[in-house]
Amino acid sequence: MSETSHGADRRRLSGHSIVRSRHFRYLLAAAVIGLLPLVFTTSYWRTNLILCAINVMLAIGLDFVLGYAGQLNLGQSAFYGIGAYASTLLVTKLGIPFWAAFALGTVMAGAAGALLSLFAVRLRGHYLAIASLGFAVITYQILLNWISLTQGPLGIYAIPPPPPIALPWLPRIPFTNLANFFYLTASLALIVYFLLDQMLRSPIGETLAAIREDEISAASLGINAPKWKAFAFAASSAVAGAAGCFYAPFVGTLVPDAFFVTESFAILAMVIVGGMGTLIGPAFGAIFITLLPEVLRSIGDLRLILYGASVTLVVLFMPGGIMQAWRLVRQRLFFFAEESAT
Amino acid sequence: MISIVLQQGINGIVIGSLYVLVALGLTLIYGVLVQINFAHADIVTLGAFAAYATTHFFGESYVVGIAAALIAGAALGWLVNATIFSPLRERGSELLPLIATIGVSIMLQNAMLALLGPIPYAFDTPYSNHVLRLGGLFLTVQNMLIIVVSSASIILLYGFMRFTFLGKALRAVAQDRETAGLLGINSNQLIMLTFVIASALAGMSGALLGPVLVLTPFAGTSVIVKAFAIVIIGGFGNIEGTIIAGLLVGFIESFTTQFLDPGLIDIVVFALLLLTLAVRPTGLIADKREENV
Amino acid sequence: MTRFRIFAYSGVLICGIVALAATPSSAADHIIKIGALLPISGPGSYFGAQDKQGIELALDQANKAGVGGYTFEVQYEDSSCAPLPATQAAKRLIDEYKPDVLIGEECSDATLAVMPIIEQAKIPLINAGSSSIKVTDPGNPWTFRIMPNEVMQGVDIATNAYKRLNARTAVLLHENTNAGIGNANVFADTFTKLGGKVLTDIGFGRDVNDFTAIATRIAGMGDVDVIPTYTLEGQGLKITQALMQAGVVKGGGGKAIQLGTIWLPFGFEQKAGNAAIGYIRIVQFDPTDQRPLVRDFIQAFKAKFNADPTHLNAHAYDQIMLIADVVKRGGKDPQSIRDKLAETKDVAGTTGSVEFDKSNQNVKMDTVHYMETKPDLSWVSLKWN
Repeated sequence: MSETSHGADRRRLSGHSIVRSRHFRYLLAAAVIGLLPLVFTTSYWRTNLILCAINVMLAIGLDFVLGYAGQLNLGQSAFYGIGAYASTLLVTKLGIPFWAAFALGTVMAGAAGALLSLFAVRLRGHYLAIASLGFAVITYQILLNWISLTQGPLGIYAIPPPPPIALPWLPRIPFTNLANFFYLTASLALIVYFLLDQMLRSPIGETLAAIREDEISAASLGINAPKWKAFAFAASSAVAGAAGCFYAPFVGTLVPDAFFVTESFAILAMVIVGGMGTLIGPAFGAIFITLLPEVLRSIGDLRLILYGASVTLVVLFMPGGIMQAWRLVRQRLFFFAEESAT
Repeated sequence: MISIVLQQGINGIVIGSLYVLVALGLTLIYGVLVQINFAHADIVTLGAFAAYATTHFFGESYVVGIAAALIAGAALGWLVNATIFSPLRERGSELLPLIATIGVSIMLQNAMLALLGPIPYAFDTPYSNHVLRLGGLFLTVQNMLIIVVSSASIILLYGFMRFTFLGKALRAVAQDRETAGLLGINSNQLIMLTFVIASALAGMSGALLGPVLVLTPFAGTSVIVKAFAIVIIGGFGNIEGTIIAGLLVGFIESFTTQFLDPGLIDIVVFALLLLTLAVRPTGLIADKREENV
Repeated sequence: MTRFRIFAYSGVLICGIVALAATPSSAADHIIKIGALLPISGPGSYFGAQDKQGIELALDQANKAGVGGYTFEVQYEDSSCAPLPATQAAKRLIDEYKPDVLIGEECSDATLAVMPIIEQAKIPLINAGSSSIKVTDPGNPWTFRIMPNEVMQGVDIATNAYKRLNARTAVLLHENTNAGIGNANVFADTFTKLGGKVLTDIGFGRDVNDFTAIATRIAGMGDVDVIPTYTLEGQGLKITQALMQAGVVKGGGGKAIQLGTIWLPFGFEQKAGNAAIGYIRIVQFDPTDQRPLVRDFIQAFKAKFNADPTHLNAHAYDQIMLIADVVKRGGKDPQSIRDKLAETKDVAGTTGSVEFDKSNQNVKMDTVHYMETKPDLSWVSLKWN
């Protein structure tokens, strides 16, 4: 990908415009998040917003391990499901408070990811893809068949929203309100984004890139590749688990079918269409892939054909995804403007 | 009890040989291309519908249907290679073709759904309900046909790879593409040939599977996930390993149903897959290929 | 500043698209707006495609003259037979189409997921496809079910198996879904209480293809009187044929009788052939029913679609016709439609009649029709209810 040139581009231009400053971008994102539920007031569109926030988490989580560490993980649906089921069962069966269950669910998904990385240490490319797919199949089948624990296909219903938060100097914030629920998930997505971004800007980012490019030369640089792969897997699956913890109280209903392996493909599509190897790309990819079928509802069946076609066409003609398209458009439109600014 | 074990053994061979046919295509492609074709499942589905259309709409015999499925599969395989794998090969990415074929698969399934509808087709051949009985054992003529046709194709394929010039050339490309090129072997044409053979096999297995499985646009998907497991358990690119692993998965399916629960089939198969990867990542059968491990 | 210009442009563009998508269709005063939550994409479109036909036919008829000055309009949303898409579809319908009444879903999980939403929005929902007991027990004041639930069907068929067929042993076959497990459990409880014995209970996923292994296992169990089977048409066909090949059921020379509930459509026996002989099952729609209502429905359906109607067609038709009946009785907005629905007494439909109890469950057992497949593959109605 061209993120190296992109990085250079950023360094060259940094300081020339306040718009380019990272702090400004985070502030802008926060402002947009704050405004969105005020623009979209119906429960349908607010539900879509929440779904976008959850999917952004899933996409940037997968991108961390795929785009940066170069490991194709098709098991993301499993970690998503582990987070959702673990947190819900901890609340309903053991009566643990939601936020503790959230933390535990995230950790459990991360631990499962670390477990799968034992395979990643020994396998590459397609072997890893199929191994992680196998992991997703097994997890789905366990959720389906262990009825005494998970209710299996009978489903868990009426999962309550997270308990209200009482911040000092503010009225209690209830999450039965969809706008508040969106603020909650979107802030978490933003925090996750910030954390991953910080990590990738630290030496960790370069280490992962070295492993992705060539494991053997990475080892000669003294990089402990298995350890870092395990770390990338654990971080990525913990993020998916965290998203899952919100999925359950958001939908209110939990059935194993929500975490079938095709969900992994959907998350993969978000990363690819957005542009893997950048964080912002998959975030936009997630929003695009989530909203596309909703906007295309009126064309019925054809929307899934379009969805498949868009993944294929992006890979064939625009492997950098939305980000590549954006850079092309920017070059054409702002060529003169940027020249004069430099 | 003995007759039940025997009967389940037969059941396992029938379903296992179908899995072998599907998995062989995947493993052949992997052998020369080091790529996975996710749309392989939809080639199987297309083959099944091609055979159905030939027998039910045009009134031809089942054998003609199998031939039609073979041709349809080969044609779709050619198309997938020409539009997806060939252009992407130049970019040298390992994962992009796989991802692109996931997109192709979603597209094909839903296009077939739009055309053919969601109601399962009842694909009965003249042999479907003709049951042979011996002692306590039973076998439909259709299932016997499945065993015969798939063994014949497996033997033919094996002979082709071992003893013909083309087959040897294919194996040469699989082992070392650059050297093969130096020896004057046109690897692009050979890759296309492999693709067409593999997809023809998939199309044919669709014609055989059509009367067995629930024939909807999603029919191939239910088989392909197991085929992936078989390819790995047998060792990617390893034909003997794939045959053994396919039959093994067939036996797992029938004996898990007999002694445990059909709901556990996938868990057992994929636990075996992960175990294989953990213990012997090159597959059950030893193989020279180590580059992906 | 150019950067902001493009932001502004894209902002306007996005708002435009959203506004376009969000514009509610114009509402005339004398139209009853019906929102239909149907699985239209994916494998679940098996239901949606057939439901749509029944709805279209009912709309043709109801709108020909109108009912008390009202005509009917249906907006379809794809609820995909799954909780998340179903809640999305329900919210979209409620927010943007603003229906007076909703119908759907088919799959129990999807219906259960939608129920809290329609209760909050105070829009009545009529269901004719989900058998889970939870839809009406506890249920909510806004959800009505016109077909018998899994308990009503399961208790009835298990009792009939024990008393009328003198069955003492049973093997349960069911898909691993909400409805499959629920139906099988009710049968097992009732049958065991009566003194019968459930030899084994075999569940399978919707991705299982080859049922020969399952049939072999059943063949090895010795005498089995009845095999209650809960699965859809596709797998049901394969099971029935495998049971015949293994010589378990009557069609294959055995003595076991397959039992079932509403899962299989009319026309199943033509696809299954001799394997279906002796199959006894509950059908919600009996095409041999001689009531004029049913004859007219079949004739009109054949004229419009050139095919025999299935129970799914009939259920969808009945849902619309029930709404028409409610409107005739004075229902005109969500609240009054709910109230009039709750008062429904003995309204005849093609699948039977409708009368709701306190939990909004239809209590009429004339919706339970038993039929048996004869050796010539025709249906004969068993007058068990």
